[in-house]
Amino acid sequence: MKSGANRKAQAPGTGSAAGQPPGSAPLGLADTVAQSLINLQTELGGSPDLKIRRIRLGGDSRIEAAAVHLSGLADTVAVNEFVIGSLLDNTDDLLRDKQEDGAGASREQSPLPQVILSRALAIGDAVLQEEWKEIMLAILSGDTAILMEGCLEAIICDTRGGEQRAVSEPSSQLVVRGPKDGFVESVATNISLIRRRIKSSKLHLEVMKIGSETHTHVALMYMKGVAGEDLVQEVRERLRKITLNEVLESGFIEELIQDKTFTPFPTIYNSERPDVAAGNLLEGRVVIIVDGTPFVLILPAVFTQFFQSAEDYSQRFDIAILMRLVRYVSFLVLILGPSVYLALTTYHYEMIPTTLLINLLSQRENVPFPAFVELLLMETAFEILREAGVRMPRAIGQTVSVVGALILGTAVVEAGIIAPIMVIVVALTGIASFAIPAYNMAIAGRIIRFAFLILASLFGFYGITLGLIVFVAHMNSLRSFGVPYLFPFVPLSVNGQKDTILRLPLWIVGRDKTPKQMSKELPEYMQLTTGHDEQLPPLILKNDTPASRGMEGENDEK
Amino acid sequence: MMRNRSFCLSLALLLVLQVLLTGCWDNVELNRRAIISGIAIDRGDTEAEKYKLSFQVIVAEEISGEKSRGISPVALYTGVGRTMFEALADASRQTARFLSLGHVRVLVISEKFAREGIKDILDVLERESDTRLNSEIFISKGQPARELMSTMTVFSKIPANDLVEKLETTSKQFGYNFRMAVDDVIRGIQIRGGGPIINGVYTSGDREQAGSNDSLKNIEPRTILRVSGLAAFKDDKLKGWLTGDAAVGTVLLHNNLREYPSLLKDKEGGYISFNIYQSQVTLKVQSADPEHPVITIKITQQAALKESPNTLDLTSPRVLDELSDQLTEETVKQLKAAVSAARGYKSDYLGFGQALQRKNPRGWKKIKDHWEEVFTTCGIRFEADVIIRHTDMRSNSFQIY
Repeated sequence: MKSGANRKAQAPGTGSAAGQPPGSAPLGLADTVAQSLINLQTELGGSPDLKIRRIRLGGDSRIEAAAVHLSGLADTVAVNEFVIGSLLDNTDDLLRDKQEDGAGASREQSPLPQVILSRALAIGDAVLQEEWKEIMLAILSGDTAILMEGCLEAIICDTRGGEQRAVSEPSSQLVVRGPKDGFVESVATNISLIRRRIKSSKLHLEVMKIGSETHTHVALMYMKGVAGEDLVQEVRERLRKITLNEVLESGFIEELIQDKTFTPFPTIYNSERPDVAAGNLLEGRVVIIVDGTPFVLILPAVFTQFFQSAEDYSQRFDIAILMRLVRYVSFLVLILGPSVYLALTTYHYEMIPTTLLINLLSQRENVPFPAFVELLLMETAFEILREAGVRMPRAIGQTVSVVGALILGTAVVEAGIIAPIMVIVVALTGIASFAIPAYNMAIAGRIIRFAFLILASLFGFYGITLGLIVFVAHMNSLRSFGVPYLFPFVPLSVNGQKDTILRLPLWIVGRDKTPKQMSKELPEYMQLTTGHDEQLPPLILKNDTPASRGMEGENDEK
Repeated sequence: MMRNRSFCLSLALLLVLQVLLTGCWDNVELNRRAIISGIAIDRGDTEAEKYKLSFQVIVAEEISGEKSRGISPVALYTGVGRTMFEALADASRQTARFLSLGHVRVLVISEKFAREGIKDILDVLERESDTRLNSEIFISKGQPARELMSTMTVFSKIPANDLVEKLETTSKQFGYNFRMAVDDVIRGIQIRGGGPIINGVYTSGDREQAGSNDSLKNIEPRTILRVSGLAAFKDDKLKGWLTGDAAVGTVLLHNNLREYPSLLKDKEGGYISFNIYQSQVTLKVQSADPEHPVITIKITQQAALKESPNTLDLTSPRVLDELSDQLTEETVKQLKAAVSAARGYKSDYLGFGQALQRKNPRGWKKIKDHWEEVFTTCGIRFEADVIIRHTDMRSNSFQIY
C-alpha cells in the first residue's frame, strides 16, 4: 500500500467537491456526515442492504454521526449492542465531561474519534481508518463504519458475522473411524478448526487478500521450524504474484501456483478434513485456506500422498497397508484395465487361457463393432453416467446410477451391441476409480485410461509398454514446490518408504518424513524450490516485478 | 524463437501421425479367428502330398454360446502340401476365419511319419511364432493321426483337451505316461546317441461313429481315446514301443513316475499290491576308462501296502522286510527290462550318456561318436532300496473264523 500517501492527499479534495455528479471525481469521506453517506450510497449504487443509523453523539453538543453496515454480512447483535448501543449510552457523559473541562486545548489534544475509540466503544476490535477504499472494503466485508461530522476518519468496528454453514461432516474423503468435522466456507472457522488440533506457538498464520474484486482472504499456515523456510517463502511469493479479479474457490489459487499446468496429475493436495490439514502441517507442509470454500490446499504433494487416507493412521497398521495396496492396484486397474483387455483380445489372444478364450469367442460372435469401438462406447457411456449422477439433484442421483449401471448394462448386452465381458471390464475400471481417495487423482487416471486405450488399439502390449515408459518419465519430470513427484521412489529413499505404499507402525515411521527431511535426501541438482517460474502460469508472472526478484535474491543470499 | 518452436511442434506432430500410418498391423478381432486346439500330422502317400495336416478348430459358440445349433463343437480341416506351411495354407483356404495356432494344445504325429523322422516338423513348430512350445506331443499308435483328432470325447467337448487331461490324469495316477511337450522332444532329439520318448495314443472301439455325437449317446462310449505305450526314438526316428515293465522302468529312470502299482505273487497264491508313491533314481558313473564305464543305478522307493489277500502277519517287521526285498527285486526287474529295451534299440534315451558327460567330459569327447556301442556293452549295476512305509488303514486283514 505504498500508494496510500497519494490517496490520503486526495481524500479531502473529494470531500470539498461534494455535490458533484458521481463518477466525475473519486468519491471519499466528506466533512459532513450527510455528504459522506451520499458518497457511500453512490458508490454502492443505492443498494438497499446498506443500513445507515444516524445518531447524535453527546447530548447537547449534537455531533452528527452515522453507523453504517451491510445487513446480512454484519452480526446484528454486535452492531446493535456494542456499536450503536455503546455510542448512545456512553457518549453523553463523555462529551459532557469534555465540555465541562472547559479548556478548549484539551479537546483539541484528544480529537473526537480517539475519545470514542478509547472510551466509548464496547466492541472488541475497532480501528480508525481514513482510506476511503479501505472503508468500503471493510463495509463490504461486514464491518460497521462510524462516520462523524467534521471528521475525515471513520471508525471501523469488527462486526463480521451473518449466516454461515455450521461445521458438519465432510462430504468427500469419508472415513469409518476418525474425526467427523469438516471445513466450512469461513476462513476464520477453518483456522480455528486447525488451531484446536495444534496448540503450538510454532503454528504460524499469515493472511493476505487476493482478487482485485473479491478481496478474498487467503490464509497461509505452516509450522515454523518444521516447514522449510524456503518453501514458505516460495509459497508466499507465488501467492503474492497472483493477479486475479476473483478467487471463488481454492482451485483458482491451485491453478495459479502449481508448478505445471499441462499435466493430468495434481501437484497440490486438497482436503476438506481439518485432521488431514493438521497432520500435514505437522509433517512440515504448508496449508492454504481460502475464504469461501471448505477445501484447503496442502503442498507440496507427492504422488503417493494421493493414495493415503486419513483413516490409514486411525486404523491398525496392517489393515492400512492392505488398503493402500488395494488403492494402488485399483489405480493400475483404472488406467490399464480396458487397454490390457483390448491388447489381449486383439493382439495377444494366445495369452488368454483356452477355456476363457472360448467363452470370449462365443460372446464376441455376434457383436457388430471392433473391440476398440466397443470399449470406447462403453467408457464414454460410463463417463456420461458418472457426470449425470454427479450433477443430478440428490434425490434422482441414486436412480441414475441404478438405471445406468444395471438396466443399461444388461440391455446393451441383450441388444447385442456389447459383449458381456466388456461390461465387466468397464464396470471394474469405473469402480476402481472410486477406490482412490483423492478425487483429482482419480480424474487423472480416468483421462490417462483413454490414452492407453488408444495405444493398446494401435500396438497392443507394445503400445502399453511404450505408454508406461512415457507415463513414468512424465511423472519424473514433475515437481511440487521443489519436491520430485515420485519421491521417495525417485530418488530412492529407504527412510521414505516407511509411510508410502506401506504404513509401518508409527514408532517405526518416526519423524523423518517431512518435506524438509525429503529435501535433505535429495541430490544437489534437485535442491530447488524456486526457479520454476518459467513453468508457472502467465497470470502469476505479470506481478513479477524487478523488486520482487530483488527480494528473492536476498533470500538466496541467506 | 517462435518459428523454431512451431517447427518443432509440427515435426513432433508429423512423427506422431506417422505412428498412426502404420495402422494396426496384426490386429485381429477375436471373432475373426478360428482357434485351433489340436493338429494331426499324417504322412501322405506321395511327395507332393507329403504333409497332411488336420486342424481341429474350436467352434466356440457350440461350446459356450447361448445360440448353439447342436452341431459338432469342433471342426476338422485337412490341408495337404509338400511342406507344413503349404499344408497350413491349403487348410486356410477351406476356413472362413484366420487359423490361429496360439492355442494348440495337442500335436499328434502318425507312427508312419515318426518312423521316417520328425525333425523337420519340430523345426517348423519351433520357428513359427504363433505356436507354443508347451503343446503336448503324441504318436498315434498304428493308425492315422487324423483319427485321433476326429474322435468325440465324453469329458471335454474339445477332443484335444480331453487328450491332454487324460495324460495329466494318467501321469498322476498309476500310469507311466508323462507330459512330453514340443520343447522336451526337441531337447531329447539333440541328445547324442539318444532320442526322445513320446507318449502313444490310439482309439479303441468302433471307428464308424467315432466322429459323431452318436458315439457318446450310449453309457458305454463306442470309441475311446487311450493314452498308452511310450514311443522310443533314436534321434528323430521311431524305433519301437515300450510297454509294461520296460515302460515303467524307463520312466523310473527319468524320475517322472509319481505313483504306480507294483504287484507281488504270494507263496500261498494270489497277489499282494503295493502303491509305490515315492521313487528317486540317481545315476553314478565310474568312468576312469571311458571306453568301459560302469553305471550304477541307485533307486530308493517308498511303498504302501494296498491289498493283502491272505493271512500274512503284517504287524511283524520280519514279514514286511521280506516283502520289501521282493519289491526290490521287482523294481530291479523293471529297470533291467528298460535298459535291455534301450540297448535293443541302440538308443540312449535313458540319459546314461549325459551322466557320463557330466562326470568325465574329456572321456565323453573320445567316445561320443561311438557311444551306441559303448552304451550297449557298458557295465550296469543296480542298487535298489524299497521301504514299505505303511499298510494303509489296517494292519492285519480281518479273518473269517
